[in-house]
Amino acid sequence: MRDLKHLQFFEDLLQVANNPLISQAKEEGKVCVAYTCENVPEPLVNLPGCFSVRLHAPNTGTMDIATYYMTNLLCEPSRALLERAIEGGFNFSDCVITPDGCTMMNRAVENMELLKTMGKGNPKFFHEYMEIAFKNTENDVNLAVLQCTNHILKPLAEKYGIDTSDTAIRKAVEEHNKICRVIRAIGEYRKEENPRITGYEFQVLCLASYVCPKHLIIERLEETLKELKTRNPDKKNPWRARVLLVGSEMDDSGYVKLVEEQGAYVCCDRFCFGSYPGREEILLDGGEDALTQVCRHYVQNCQCPRMMNQEKVYHRKQYVADLAKEYGADGIIYEQVKFCDPWAYERMLGSSMLANDFGYPVLSVDRPYNISSSVGQMRTRVQAFVESIEIKKIQGGGKA
Amino acid sequence: MKTVEKIVNPVPRAGEQSPSKIYDPRLKVRARREWRGVKDTFYDYTRWLYLVSVLVRFIAVPRNVKGFFRYRWMMSYLFVMHGMDKFTIGLRDEALRITHTSFNYVIADVTEAISKCFRGDRRVGNDKEFSDRCVITDENSMVTFMMGFDRFKNPTILREVPTMFASNIFHQFNVMHYLDIAQEYGIPGDVCPMPEAEAGISIDDDFCVLGACAVQNNTTCDGSLMGNGIIAKRLERQYGIPTFQLATPLRHKEEDVLEYAAQEIKNAIAFVEKHTGAKWDWDLYFASAKRVNESTRCRIAQLEINSTPYPQFFGAAFSLYNDTNYMGNSGRNEDFIKIDHKLLELAEKGYREKRMYAKEYRHRCIIWGVQPQYTIDMLYWLLQCWGIVPLADMLSIINTDMIAEEDTPENREQAYRDMAMLNMEMIMRNHTHGGYKVLLDDLWELCEKMNADMVMMWEHMSCKALTGMHGMFEEQARERGIRLMWVSHDLCDPRVFTRSAIRDQVSAYMRTVLREEPLDPSLEHIPDDEAY
Repeated sequence: MRDLKHLQFFEDLLQVANNPLISQAKEEGKVCVAYTCENVPEPLVNLPGCFSVRLHAPNTGTMDIATYYMTNLLCEPSRALLERAIEGGFNFSDCVITPDGCTMMNRAVENMELLKTMGKGNPKFFHEYMEIAFKNTENDVNLAVLQCTNHILKPLAEKYGIDTSDTAIRKAVEEHNKICRVIRAIGEYRKEENPRITGYEFQVLCLASYVCPKHLIIERLEETLKELKTRNPDKKNPWRARVLLVGSEMDDSGYVKLVEEQGAYVCCDRFCFGSYPGREEILLDGGEDALTQVCRHYVQNCQCPRMMNQEKVYHRKQYVADLAKEYGADGIIYEQVKFCDPWAYERMLGSSMLANDFGYPVLSVDRPYNISSSVGQMRTRVQAFVESIEIKKIQGGGKA
Repeated sequence: MKTVEKIVNPVPRAGEQSPSKIYDPRLKVRARREWRGVKDTFYDYTRWLYLVSVLVRFIAVPRNVKGFFRYRWMMSYLFVMHGMDKFTIGLRDEALRITHTSFNYVIADVTEAISKCFRGDRRVGNDKEFSDRCVITDENSMVTFMMGFDRFKNPTILREVPTMFASNIFHQFNVMHYLDIAQEYGIPGDVCPMPEAEAGISIDDDFCVLGACAVQNNTTCDGSLMGNGIIAKRLERQYGIPTFQLATPLRHKEEDVLEYAAQEIKNAIAFVEKHTGAKWDWDLYFASAKRVNESTRCRIAQLEINSTPYPQFFGAAFSLYNDTNYMGNSGRNEDFIKIDHKLLELAEKGYREKRMYAKEYRHRCIIWGVQPQYTIDMLYWLLQCWGIVPLADMLSIINTDMIAEEDTPENREQAYRDMAMLNMEMIMRNHTHGGYKVLLDDLWELCEKMNADMVMMWEHMSCKALTGMHGMFEEQARERGIRLMWVSHDLCDPRVFTRSAIRDQVSAYMRTVLREEPLDPSLEHIPDDEAY
């Protein structure tokens, strides 16, 4: 296939946390809201006058200082973020908003605060911590509304004078939906039998939409979507199997690349930083205030294992099975960053239920934050998985 | 560095001078009981007889015998007497009586819980009528949502306490089997072994099956929240026991989570009413609330005594008693008030008479973090071997606020908030969650209040909430001139850190950093790694 026109541009943006577009947006006078978890409603941190950046630490090498502060028993993403913060890699942030979603990420940000890693020379800089919903009930919606009001909207308005009115939220939702529509439309091409976009390319585009100011990438994303309409895939389908990638925090497009290098096409993504459920449009109506509707959307659509009621626990597996069916996956890869507690259990239950109750071949793996530190092992696991799917196909098995 | 006055015990110890002689590397239990002088040995023996009577009464019930052979974890209870001895090493006088008074009651409470489990268990007693009145809940859960239900008509059974928590205290290797089961099933070995073992018990189908319904709670950590999903799957899908997830906010110091938590309590109560047919009784609730307050007052007074030069409450018995009273009881059982008062009376007497329980008190120490289940006697060893006085441990530093106890219309609404507050501030999570201030700042305040010059940090290696602040503990302790001693363990898996490996960390710190020699060198290496 011919290279996508803007792929290099997006790939370059992902090489550093402080990408050039962040500086550009700040020069425009916008406030940079850094956040660390999918449970932060994105439109609320992209109100007119501000833009969001989900913190990530690309090309992480050693994490010695963070390991001193947090020990080597905490997950690598949390340590990588702390290390990057100590190095000064997140100094572009004007505030950090962190849900108490998982303990380790919360501790990482608390260490950042105690070590005063950010906000030097900015008296308006603030840290906020949020409680997040545990279940998908109206009580949880009310909690989300209160938490977003107290820990996102109020501080943004008071410190930076951001307009947090209903109109402003609706406008932010509109912009958010525009990004979601483009990303999802691009992702739709992954359903083709001989797809015209690779999973890696899609992941690069999707990831950029989380870590760059959205208004500065939307045009290029739209152009890419237009380009894809006429892009021709290679005549011979190069893929040996189609897999759905499910799992925890994943901001490493190199992982998708590694999977695809083994012949497994990543036809769909269901992980933090992915398009499912993160790039789901938020549909507002005129009746209820926008804040409540946004919060309801996040509470209802959240696929985080932190959601503890049984309806949600089983729904998460059904959601994966539905995606696998919709995108024609031959198998499912459940991945988990090593030392992640929530996904340790979710991966176990998910991989067991998807295999036993839904009949999908499942590869269940843990991985490092930066896959380049452990390529060989993962490659072997994926190769074996691809081969097992092929053998099942030859034997007329595969999905039950 | 902060220093405290060393106090030498002017009174010679009654009986044998060192408990080291009761250990025998060839045995899985102690070689013999400790000689504590005539008076204390006689007292200790009468308490031993009392425990024997509790166990005999238990095993005299045929269904309990059946349960004993059905459940693997019941083997641990063969070692109750040996387990009890772990809590009384070197103790004499009031401290010995405090330990027996508190912990014997804990054992009786656990025995009762097992009896109830077997009575309702579909595989053992199968008393359906009884089972249909019971509510089962987690091991580490507050039972505030049951404060307004009759504890006899609607027993609350903390099913995981006898199955996992207590059984691991009596038999250090008991949980390993369930950890292996969980890991064979695919849970990684790096998560907290406690919820992992509980998940393993469920996977192994080794929990008693009973109850009209179950209420689960995201008690202490991400692991406990997630482990519940596996347990609920078996409860609901295989055994048809409706299960409610009582969501408890983590940022418990923030006012803006209280209404949410209170609503969750209301929902839990409604759930119990629906499935048991019982009705919430405000008279029962406020009677329980009065008892909760009374226990709180006693606990505050107990800590006051421990802040003096002559502390009287030592070791794990104190925290386990608090655990049982504060969380498993929550004011529902009036017997605990009698125990509370008796404990306080004994402590006051010990304080008046300036009782000391080692040859010398060298350091005043706060114990922070979570203690290993299988080295439950560590704090007694700390006192006897090194003269380090454990003044308070994190698990005993719990709520000190009073809750509404008069039945008025306003207080009925307040009651839900009170229950929510207690629930959010349950043992351990009240310090490990809720922001760094409750973990760090609370510790330094406590050091100040208790006049401590040392902190022993239990570094439970799978507890991410604690290890996530490792560097900050070190830096802030240094700033304050507090001696900080790290002691790593893996909560309930002795394969990761043996008992010796745990104690050696203390000895290495005391010798190399503080350049001190042990008070009792014969205790430095105890051959109990293979003992139950």
